[in-house]
Amino acid sequence: MPENEKLPRGGKAMALLVTLSSFAVLLAAFVQVGAGSYEMTWRQAWHALTGAEVWGQPELLLRLLLGENVARNLGFGDPDAIATTTLIVWTVRLPRVLVGIMVGINLAFSGSIFQAITRNEMASPYLLGVSSGAGLTIMLVLVLFPALGAHLPLIAMAGGMGAFLLVYAIAWNHGTSPVRLVLAGVIIGAIAGSIQTGLFFFARDLTVVQNALAWTTGSLTGVGWEQVRMIAPWTLVCVILGFSGTRYLDILLLGDPTAKSLGMPVERTRFLLAAAAILSAASAVSVAGLIGFVGLIVPHIVRSLVGSPHRRLLAGCLFAGPALLTCADATSRLALSPVQIPVGIVTGVLGGGFFLYLMRRKQEFGRL
Amino acid sequence: MSQESATFTISGLAGNDLTVRYRQKQTPVIAGQTVAIPEGKITVFIGPNGSGKSTLLKTLAWQLRPEMGTVILDGRNIAEFSPKELACRLGILFQENSAPNDLTVEELAYHGRYPHRRLFESLTPEDSEAVERALQLSGSDRLRHHLISQLSSGQKQLAWIAMLLSQSPKYLFLDEPTTFLDMAHQFEIMDLVRRLNRELGNTVLLSVHDLNLAARYADHIIALRDGRVVAEGSSEEVLTVEILREVFQVETRIVRDLAGDSFYCVPLGKTCEQVSVKGCR
Ligand SMILES: Nc1ncnc2c1ncn2[C@@H]1O[C@H](COP(=O)(O)OP(=O)(O)OP(=O)(O)O)[C@@H](O)[C@H]1O
Ligand SMILES: [Mg+2]
Repeated sequence: MPENEKLPRGGKAMALLVTLSSFAVLLAAFVQVGAGSYEMTWRQAWHALTGAEVWGQPELLLRLLLGENVARNLGFGDPDAIATTTLIVWTVRLPRVLVGIMVGINLAFSGSIFQAITRNEMASPYLLGVSSGAGLTIMLVLVLFPALGAHLPLIAMAGGMGAFLLVYAIAWNHGTSPVRLVLAGVIIGAIAGSIQTGLFFFARDLTVVQNALAWTTGSLTGVGWEQVRMIAPWTLVCVILGFSGTRYLDILLLGDPTAKSLGMPVERTRFLLAAAAILSAASAVSVAGLIGFVGLIVPHIVRSLVGSPHRRLLAGCLFAGPALLTCADATSRLALSPVQIPVGIVTGVLGGGFFLYLMRRKQEFGRL
Repeated sequence: MSQESATFTISGLAGNDLTVRYRQKQTPVIAGQTVAIPEGKITVFIGPNGSGKSTLLKTLAWQLRPEMGTVILDGRNIAEFSPKELACRLGILFQENSAPNDLTVEELAYHGRYPHRRLFESLTPEDSEAVERALQLSGSDRLRHHLISQLSSGQKQLAWIAMLLSQSPKYLFLDEPTTFLDMAHQFEIMDLVRRLNRELGNTVLLSVHDLNLAARYADHIIALRDGRVVAEGSSEEVLTVEILREVFQVETRIVRDLAGDSFYCVPLGKTCEQVSVKGCR
């Protein structure tokens, strides 16, 4: 691309970022696969991961990737019995890493996009109602309609999208503006947050409360291939949408009047980009709940390294997002073993620390 | 040329019977005004603060929708142009701009190519050429790798002009491009404007506060007061003691230099008649 030849700024930082992030993801993945309450040696884990037991049986591999039902419909026979280590590595530990990677990408992309359309470095993916909508619907289902529990991911996603549309409708007054959008998000957040907290008082037992907490703080405990299948297509869609929107994001940062004078339909572009970001965030929420701060910190770090042009920013997020999330998840799963804490707690602590550092170091921040 | 009335012309730009309001129920900022911007000329808006220069400029550039009236650009109703089509033909630099903190001058200039590119089209050699030309012309090529947030106001203005030029529009609108700049930078920008007009044939519309800059560079002056066109014509016709009194409520003396080919407006003080401002005698 001539753009890259012309603008080598941040090239070195980008290479460093990609290398370090990839290394972090691999390290976290290896630790996640090898360690845990079921003891196995590193060598066993490595063998289970790379050995012929799975790779030698394409049918078994497809069964894992596509799911039991699809495999049966495709007419695959039952697989041979497999070793417990292989089973644990392939059905419990590996999918968790994969989901973590994709959730990381989605949250980082979504955060980057929201920061651009609100022109505010402090914007997170949850700013425009996703967290309120998803959180509220999650609580409603868990507390009042437990029968719908099986569809919780989809319901959470729908709740997030619904709240986003509501936020947009409230913000609209002959068009929107970044400030109006943020305010509308705060309004919906306040109302939905109160109702959500109120619902805790109707919980019948502790399990419901714990379950609700896991969802609202964000956790990857218990995810499997089903979740991989659920989030993978959305991730692909969001990455494609994100990269095709980079030029529009860059121009939105120049402000509405300038963007308009360059011939960009500002409102339509902003809505479509916001919708893509919401899709991204909601798909992450549907498998992992409301993991905080990832979508806020990752774009921040990447921007400070490679600058704000979105082609580089999103490329950086593609690596840094998974790095942060997989490392945080490994910590949350293993640090206090045998207790697994929700990964959202780790990212929250990291996020707080990061902003303390920012506050001490930077003179001025906030506006993009 | 000077007293051309604002009728429909095949090329050029004209606003007919424009009424602009920012909020409903408020009195209109521009009420039923008709103006013609002669093609291939430098036209300058003058008028006191709040007289509607920016408003009229934005309306003529179709960045503000008038409540009533039409703008005709090159013989076509401007509303019929697609946004990108319009941006390829007409570029506007606003009075106030803000760029992200870590954008370089060159990156900003590349954004000017937006209207020329289709959805997934990557940069063409033509784009790079246009940007190079814009950086050279505006004199910001030596700043190309600087961050805009770290430039002085004058350099910032040059960077934004570079973006405007890489848009390569035939009509250039600049809202107070010389405000906050020192004399040398004011001349730099106005000389650039003249070059764009004389050498590249661009039609330029700008607003300035400095009447002497207007006198020196304008082919056509439109004087505004309270959203009305009070006078228009060549600089000799508009920059008169009577008109300046009406427009600015200021007493002036018009001085010709010895060669007689240029003249200056020397402000003497506020006009006192109707208002009894203290200290004004
Ligand atoms: N966004 C806005 N909302 C409401 N009123 C506005 C807005 N912009 C301008 N106005 C009003 O319109 C009138 C004309 O303003 P305009 O900015 O066009 O004047 P101007 O001649 O460009 O002034 P200046 O020399 O200070 O730039 C003013 O009375 C101002 O209060
Ligand atoms: Mg103005």
